[in-house]
Amino acid sequence: MPPILEANDLTKRFELGQSTVEALKGVSLAVQPGEFVALMGPSGSGKSTLLQLLGGLDQPTTGVVVFEGRDISRLSDDDATRLRRERTGFVFQAFNLIPLLDVRENIALPFTIAGQDASRGELRDRIAEVIALVELSGKERHRPDQLSAGEQQRVAVARALVTRPSVLLADEPTGNLDYTTGGELLDALWKSCDAGGQTVVLVTHDARAAAYADRVLVIGDGRILDEIVLGRRADHSAAPLIARLAQLGL
Amino acid sequence: MGLDRLAWRTLAARPLRSLLTTLGIALGVGVLAASLAMSAGIDAAIGRTVRDVVGSADLRVSAFLERGLSDATVETIRGTTGVEVVAPTIEQRTFLAPGSPGTATGARDAVTVVGIDPVAWSRLHELELVGGARLARPDEPSALVTESLADADGYVLGSELGIQGAGGLTSLRVIGIIAGPGPVAGAAGRTVIVPLAIARSTFGLDGVTRVDIGLAEGTTPSSVTSALADRLTTEPYVVASPGDLAAGLRASTADFQATTALVAAIVLFVGSFLIVNTLSMTVGERAREVGLLRAAGATRAQVVRFVLAGALVLGIVGSALGLVVGVLLGSLMAGSVRALTGFPAEVEGLDAGSLAVAFLVGVAITLAGATEPAVRAARISPVEALRARLDLPAVRRAQLRWLAALFLAVAVIALLAWPPAAGTTGADRALAVYAVLLGATLATPFLLPPLARVLGRPVAGMLRLEERLARGSLARDRSRTALTLGSLVVGLAMIVALGWTAQAARNAATAWLADVVPGDAIVTSIRPIAADEPVDVRATLGAVDGVATVTPIATFDLAIRGVRFDAAAIVGADFLEDGRLTFVSGERTPALRAIDAGGSAILPRIAADRLGLGAGDTISLALGPGRTLDLEVAGVVSRSLPGGGGEAILVGWGDASTAIGITGADVFAVRFEDDAGAGAFDALAAASRGLALEANPLERVQGAVTDALGRVFGLFDALALVAVLVAGLGIVNTLAMGVVERVREIGVLRAIGMTRRQASRMVVVEAAILGLVGAVLGAVVGLAVGLVLLVLSGGFAASAGIPWGSIAVAAILGLAGPAIAAWYPSRLASGVSIVRALKFE
Repeated sequence: MPPILEANDLTKRFELGQSTVEALKGVSLAVQPGEFVALMGPSGSGKSTLLQLLGGLDQPTTGVVVFEGRDISRLSDDDATRLRRERTGFVFQAFNLIPLLDVRENIALPFTIAGQDASRGELRDRIAEVIALVELSGKERHRPDQLSAGEQQRVAVARALVTRPSVLLADEPTGNLDYTTGGELLDALWKSCDAGGQTVVLVTHDARAAAYADRVLVIGDGRILDEIVLGRRADHSAAPLIARLAQLGL
Repeated sequence: MGLDRLAWRTLAARPLRSLLTTLGIALGVGVLAASLAMSAGIDAAIGRTVRDVVGSADLRVSAFLERGLSDATVETIRGTTGVEVVAPTIEQRTFLAPGSPGTATGARDAVTVVGIDPVAWSRLHELELVGGARLARPDEPSALVTESLADADGYVLGSELGIQGAGGLTSLRVIGIIAGPGPVAGAAGRTVIVPLAIARSTFGLDGVTRVDIGLAEGTTPSSVTSALADRLTTEPYVVASPGDLAAGLRASTADFQATTALVAAIVLFVGSFLIVNTLSMTVGERAREVGLLRAAGATRAQVVRFVLAGALVLGIVGSALGLVVGVLLGSLMAGSVRALTGFPAEVEGLDAGSLAVAFLVGVAITLAGATEPAVRAARISPVEALRARLDLPAVRRAQLRWLAALFLAVAVIALLAWPPAAGTTGADRALAVYAVLLGATLATPFLLPPLARVLGRPVAGMLRLEERLARGSLARDRSRTALTLGSLVVGLAMIVALGWTAQAARNAATAWLADVVPGDAIVTSIRPIAADEPVDVRATLGAVDGVATVTPIATFDLAIRGVRFDAAAIVGADFLEDGRLTFVSGERTPALRAIDAGGSAILPRIAADRLGLGAGDTISLALGPGRTLDLEVAGVVSRSLPGGGGEAILVGWGDASTAIGITGADVFAVRFEDDAGAGAFDALAAASRGLALEANPLERVQGAVTDALGRVFGLFDALALVAVLVAGLGIVNTLAMGVVERVREIGVLRAIGMTRRQASRMVVVEAAILGLVGAVLGAVVGLAVGLVLLVLSGGFAASAGIPWGSIAVAAILGLAGPAIAAWYPSRLASGVSIVRALKFE
């Protein structure tokens, strides 16, 4: 089966005044449909930049990103926007809900942005479905400030999933959550992947989060340093990953 | 010192916001400075005018009646203890003879002829000549003309000058040219000075118009005034000092000054919104830094100083810039005053007092506006500010009660800076208007959500998400919305209110003339035309093709209970036949017949109310000490003929000529036949010219009144537009701040599929909703303010109508202003970088 997402020799340079920062130095990877991949590395390693290139939020300096067989690395702003709206879903670390919209409205945002009426028919059912998936039934009319941090992040996951994207991209989604709520969120992501066949690319520096993945790409200094294949597991134990990382001296 | 530098950097970090705020302050201070400089300019002009008019005279005795002061009265004045110089003067308006240099080209402008006793007059008046010689003898056939008249009509030294008099032309030789426009106020520079005896013979007068008096040393004006009261018992007169004249002139500009000051205060009011908003935004944005400072040991007082230091910089720069704006605006306003009142008002540009007051008020209001955000900043808890997730709205929000307190302080400052010449009535009106505007501003945040929901509905049909987000964004910070929307509402309300006031005045003027004048045209004379003159003017005009009726009217002054009233002599039967005048008391037919029969008068309602009289009562006219004329009030009319300063008391020709001494008519109302063509007026105009009269259709008279009103209100509208402009600056600030605050939110929306156009549209929709709500509230509040202005000035009437035109202008401005203001913030929103926005906290 061809990969759903592929990166070939990606580089990304930022001009910061007089100096140039090279965030990515030739990264190549491939993600299969239905796969759960974690990009893991310390702060400043380039993992978030890589995720942004993979999701069409930014363009690489050189190299190519192929999404569902199509080169997305040089899309116009409108085409990139359409790609994000229709084919990808994003979950960010925090503050990514619109405070004045309630849970249902936040989840329906991608449809509303596309000018679709999410209050009836199939879209309504899809919204109800993802609300059930992230276990927020009964809180549809709550506003973000009436939810806990974990619940807010689950709303963000539901919003990312509601369009049934080809790939869900999550950037440190548990970064602002405590141990228990972080675990609940990862469970929701894994469930969408395992039961729903959702492709997930997760950026994290936390081995416990990365342990949910089928495969972990270890990133450091703008390069992929290693690939750790964990396979689909129901227990999500971080021990094998930590042991492997220790072997690598990370 | 370090904190002050940080304050400066805080301003520099947001150059657009600092610039907009500075401009807002500058415009507010500019309008205030212009208004104060104009007031000072008017005062200076009044001083100059009084000096020009009365020279060094200490008192001026003027004739009350048309026949003037007799020689006996002049002699009595001369013999009064304490009187050293007596300068009798005649002043008459007339035309120069055809054939005089300038009239050959058809110029028909009137001139003012002043007859003087050259010797006595020169002891009290300095006359600067640019050529020729002064008058020497009281009977020489010579004349002095003003430089303005000489330039306009082509007179030079030695020119022949023919003055149209009672019995024909008087030919004089020009022997001197007076510098500039000459010494007569209101003559538009067209003045001819001739010897007294020449003026008398030319106009066939026995008396003089007035007597200027120079007092002996050691004598006071009040002692001479009371001595004159004892001695002058045969003719009515008015005695005035230069101070009285100045007060009279001041009264004629008081309304104008009061309204200008009111609008200036409102622009400052709107400007102060901008200041509070800007500094509130800065405090909200810098909350974390302030928390850090507090955690690092900065005291509350230091934090207050940090915010006030920033405000002080804005206040000083803005106010200084405002002085430049003020000088420019002031010159424009002085031009309007000159055009409207004939006053030689000048704005010197360097009236240090006005500029200093405006500058200090600007800085004071800026600091007052900064106080609330400063205190709020000082209350930020270091713990709260340093939390990972700061509840910014709690820090950012200003309390509405604080705003109310602040704007009460602004009212007090405005009252202190209120020009004394504008009078207290103006101040009452200003306070009432200010209260309505303040109430509306404070109510704005409560009215916004329901109004935005209703008015946003059409937008929601097409742009649901944008409308929903825009509406939510507006409701996010109540006080900011109150100030932003409030300033727009205030600006638009002033446009509606001033428009309404202007419309009411125009309607009243138009309806008034049509209701009371029994004619389609008005023929005016600059001298009274007696019925027994060689040429029968009434018959001549009546013989013109198409003319149905000609009715003579004489306008003059009357004294009742020591108060001056306008009066007019009319032919009651003509008014009866023409169906003019609306009676509110008494019966039309008997009343109009009664004044023709004599012994009766008809009062305008305004005079009846003032005197507390009604039909059947008696008024006693003072015709001179010991002489009165009692007239029965035959009726009261809602509006009467316009006089010099108000509405005229109507009397019959019999009483006017025999008892009051009116010698002839100065106005003829001409009614055309129903089937008279357009040529009838031309024929009337030609006949009038032949009689040295001026004919005008009634519409032109009405047009002249409404044009004059239009010019006054045009100036006020321009000032109100400045308030809308300041509001526009506030809107740019608020929308831009909204984008900056929501940059992460916009980043998220863009990440999940919102296009740049949608992001931009979201801001435009926010501005549109703001504009729609502003326009609706502006219209409503404007009507309320207009009602207050009309009711307090006694000008409210059903004829005021609804000012649809002004409401339309306010609606257009309300929509266009925010749309323009949204241009930059919407670009800001569409340009948000998703990657950077997602890193933003």
